[in-house]
Amino acid sequence: MIAEIGILSLMLTVGVSIYSVIACLWGAYTHRQALIESGRTAALLTSPLLFITLGVLLVGLVGGAYQITYVHQVTDPNTPLFYRITALWGSQQGSLIFWSFTMSLFTSGAILSNWRTHTELMPFATAVMMTTLAFFVGLSLFLENPFERYWILANNVVVQEAFIPSQSIAPELDRLAQTASGLNPLLRHFGMIIHPPMLYLGFVGFIVPYAFAIAALASGNLSTDWIKITRQWTLWAWLFLSLGLLLGGRWAYDVLGWGGYWGWDPVENAAFLPWLMGTAFLHSVMVQERRGMLKKWNMFLIISTFTSVIFGTFATRSGLIDSVHSFARSPIGVPMFLFWAGMMLVSSILLVIRWNRGELEDEQPFRWAFNREMMFVLNNIVFMILFFAIFWGSFGAPIASELTSGVEISLGSQYFNGVTAPFFGLMYVLMGIAPLTAWGCSTLTHLQKDLLIPLILTLIALVGAWFLGATTPASLLGYGLVFLAGFVTLYMVYKDARSRQVARQETFSRSLWKTFVRGRRRYGGFIVHLGIVVIGLGVIGSTLFQYETQRTLQLGETLDVQDYQMTFERLDSGQIAEDGRVMDIATLTLSKGDQAFESLRPRRDLFQQSDGSFMPMTIASARSTLAHDFYVLLVGWEELSPDRATFKVYVNPLINLVWWGGMILMLGTILSVWNPTTAPKRASITKPVKPSAGVTTA
Amino acid sequence: MAQATWEKSAQSSANQVRSKSSDRWKFMLGGILILGVAIYLIVANTVGGARYFITVDELLGDPSYIGETVRISGAVIGESITYDTSDPAKPVIEFSISHIDPDAPDLALALHESVKNPTLNRLAIRVENQAMPDLLQNEAQAILSGYMGEDGVFHANELLLKCPSRFEEAQPDQSIAGEA
Repeated sequence: MIAEIGILSLMLTVGVSIYSVIACLWGAYTHRQALIESGRTAALLTSPLLFITLGVLLVGLVGGAYQITYVHQVTDPNTPLFYRITALWGSQQGSLIFWSFTMSLFTSGAILSNWRTHTELMPFATAVMMTTLAFFVGLSLFLENPFERYWILANNVVVQEAFIPSQSIAPELDRLAQTASGLNPLLRHFGMIIHPPMLYLGFVGFIVPYAFAIAALASGNLSTDWIKITRQWTLWAWLFLSLGLLLGGRWAYDVLGWGGYWGWDPVENAAFLPWLMGTAFLHSVMVQERRGMLKKWNMFLIISTFTSVIFGTFATRSGLIDSVHSFARSPIGVPMFLFWAGMMLVSSILLVIRWNRGELEDEQPFRWAFNREMMFVLNNIVFMILFFAIFWGSFGAPIASELTSGVEISLGSQYFNGVTAPFFGLMYVLMGIAPLTAWGCSTLTHLQKDLLIPLILTLIALVGAWFLGATTPASLLGYGLVFLAGFVTLYMVYKDARSRQVARQETFSRSLWKTFVRGRRRYGGFIVHLGIVVIGLGVIGSTLFQYETQRTLQLGETLDVQDYQMTFERLDSGQIAEDGRVMDIATLTLSKGDQAFESLRPRRDLFQQSDGSFMPMTIASARSTLAHDFYVLLVGWEELSPDRATFKVYVNPLINLVWWGGMILMLGTILSVWNPTTAPKRASITKPVKPSAGVTTA
Repeated sequence: MAQATWEKSAQSSANQVRSKSSDRWKFMLGGILILGVAIYLIVANTVGGARYFITVDELLGDPSYIGETVRISGAVIGESITYDTSDPAKPVIEFSISHIDPDAPDLALALHESVKNPTLNRLAIRVENQAMPDLLQNEAQAILSGYMGEDGVFHANELLLKCPSRFEEAQPDQSIAGEA
C-alpha cells in the first residue's frame, strides 16, 4: 500500500507539473489569466505531492518495509531510527526524490513571493521551473523508482518491479530482513548526513535565478528586475552550496582517514564548478544593478551556473567519469544529457535572439578604466579561468582523450594544484584591491593611499608568520596575499565606522554597530570575504606544512611527533556498540614535555554485512586546537594484538581555520541575505538604483 | 561614508568622456596576458600530469607501458590482500586485481563476475608506505596510479577505492527467494 501511494503521488506530480507548464505558456500566449492562475495552482500542488512521496518512503524506511528495494538496500533491522531517516538520501533513488522535493519548495517559494508583483515574468518562470521538476520526477518514476519491490516469479527468480508481475509472490518478510544491506557505514557521520541535503538545496536553489533569467528572455522584460527578484534566492542557493561543500570536506577529513579534505575528485569538482560560476554571478550582477552593464554576461553566467549543476549531476551519476565516489552507472545518464543539451539549446537560442535584436545592450558604455566595474570584470575572468581549468581537468581532458585516441587520460592533484593556485592567488589580490576602488572612475593615487595601512599590517603579519615557521617563498607569498585581502577588508570596515563616528560625534562601537546594521548587504559581503581569508590561511597551512608519520607501537611505547609524545596505553578489542558494530579502541596519551594533555581514542569499527562479512571503518581521533590538529588513526588490520598496534599520525597546521572560515562565510551570507531593502517584495521597484556612498559586495 | 568624497555618481560617470583608447589597450593587454598564462598553465600541467587510464588487459597486452606512469582500474580479489607491517617504517599492501570491462553497464555485476572468473587477466599490485584503506575488500573497484615494473608487479603510489555511497546493484539479490 505504501509503495502504491508513493507511485501514485509521483505520477500526479509529473502530471500537474506538465499541466502547469502548458497552462502557463498557453495562458501567457493567449493572455488568459484564468489559465495562468490554474498553472500556478498546479505548480503549488507539487510540494505537497512530493511531501507525500517522501513521507511514505520515510514510513517504509522507519517501519522496515523491506520488500521495497530501496528500503532493503539502505537499512536493515539493526539500523537506528536516526539513520533510517537519513537513509532517505542514502542512495540514488531516494536522493533524486529528495532533490525534487527541495526543488519544489524553492519553486513554490518563488511563485508565492513574486506572483502578484511580477505578472509578466511569472508564467514563464513557472514554466521553466515546472519543466525541470517534471523531468526530475519523471526520472524517479520511470528510471529510478524508489518504490520498486521484490517479487518472486514462478521459476523462483527474484525481480524488482514497481507493480506485481503476473504469477509472482512477495518474498517472506523474515528473509527480506535477514538479507537487507543496511546503510553504508561511511555515511553514518554528521557531515555526510547534512552534506547531501545542503548540496541539493544549493544545486536546486539556482533554478530560481535561472528560471527568472529565461523568463526575462522569453517575455522581453529585460530590465534588471529579474536580478533584483532573485538576489536573495541566489544567495540562499550559494549559501547552501558552500555549506554542502564544507560539510563534504569535513566528512572526508573525519571518515576517509587520509588526513585531507579535498582530493580534486570529479564528483567534488562537479559540485565546486557551479559554486565558482555562481560566485562570479554574485559579483557581476552588482555591475548590472549599479551601472546597467554586463547584461549579456549576467545572462550567460546564470544560464551557465544552472546548466553546470545539471551537467555535473549527469557526469557523476551516469558513470561517464570514474570517481572514488561510486555512483552507479545508472540509466539516467542519457536522459540527463539530453535534458542538459536541451536546456543549453533553448537558453542559447533565446539569448541570441534578444542579443541580435539589441535588447540586451548596456544602459551605459563600459569604461575601460581603473574602476570597480573593471575589478569585477577581472574577478569574473579569474573565476571563469578557474571554472574552465577544473572542468577541463575533471571532464574535458578525459573525454577529449577518449574521443580522439580511444584511451582515457586522467589528471590528478598535481594538475589541479599547478593550475589553480596562481589564480586563487589572483583572486585574493582582487579581494584586496577591488573594495578600495570606486564605481565609474578611480585613481591609483587613492588606491596607494588606502593600501598603505593594510600593506604595513600585512608586512607585520608576515614577519610573525616567518617567526612561526612559514619561511618558504610559496608560503610567504600565499600568506601575504591572503593577509592583504583580510586587512583591506578590516580597514574598509574601520574606515566606514570612523567616518560615521566623526560625522555623528558618537562612540566608535556605536558607529561600528550602526554601520553594520544600516549596510547589512555591504558588510555581509565583507564578512564573507573575511571567511574566505580565514579559509585561505587554513588551506595554505594544512597543505604546505602537513606532517605525517606511521609507526607500530608496543604497549607502553612512546612515539615522538614534532613537540608531542604519544604513548600507547591500551587496546580494547571486541567492544559491542548499541547498533551491533564491533569496535577495537586504542587509548593513547598525548603529552608535551611533562604535561599530559588528553587521551586520544582512535578506533576501528567493524560493521557486519548481510553476507556475514565485516566492513571495517577507521575512525580517527584528534586533538584539535586553532594552531593544528594532532590526528591519529588506528591502522592495524585484521591481526590486532593486545600489545601491539600500528598508528598513522598527521599534524595538520591551521586546518581548523578552514572550518571556522566556513562558518564566518555562512554568517556573512546570512547577514547579506537578511536585508529588508532587497526583499523580493520590494524588488519590483524598477526605478534605477541610486548609487550611494560605499559599495556592495557579494 | 568616506568613499563618498571620491566616488562618482551614475549620472556624472555617464557624462564622462569615453575612456581613452590607450587605457582600453592596456586593460586588453592585461586580460590577454592573464589568459595566456592560464592557457600555458593548463597545457603544461595537462602534458606533465596526464596519466593514461587503461584496463588490466591493455596494460598487460602492451609492453610499451612498462615503466610508464599510468592509471589502471580493476576488481580487487579479496583473498589476495596482504598487509605487511614487519618493517614499521615501510608497511606494504599487496593484492591482485582482475580485468573489468570499462563499459559494463552494471558495475556491481561486472566486479562480481570479474573476481569469480579465473580466466580473466589478473595483475599483482604493490603499494608501499600507505595505511590499509577500509574499502580495500573483495569486489571493490580499485583505481591505481603507478607504473608496471619489469617484475610484472604494478607499483602503485596512489590507491583509490570506490566509495560505496549510492552503490546499487542492478540485479536483485537472488538469495531473497530463500530455499527453492
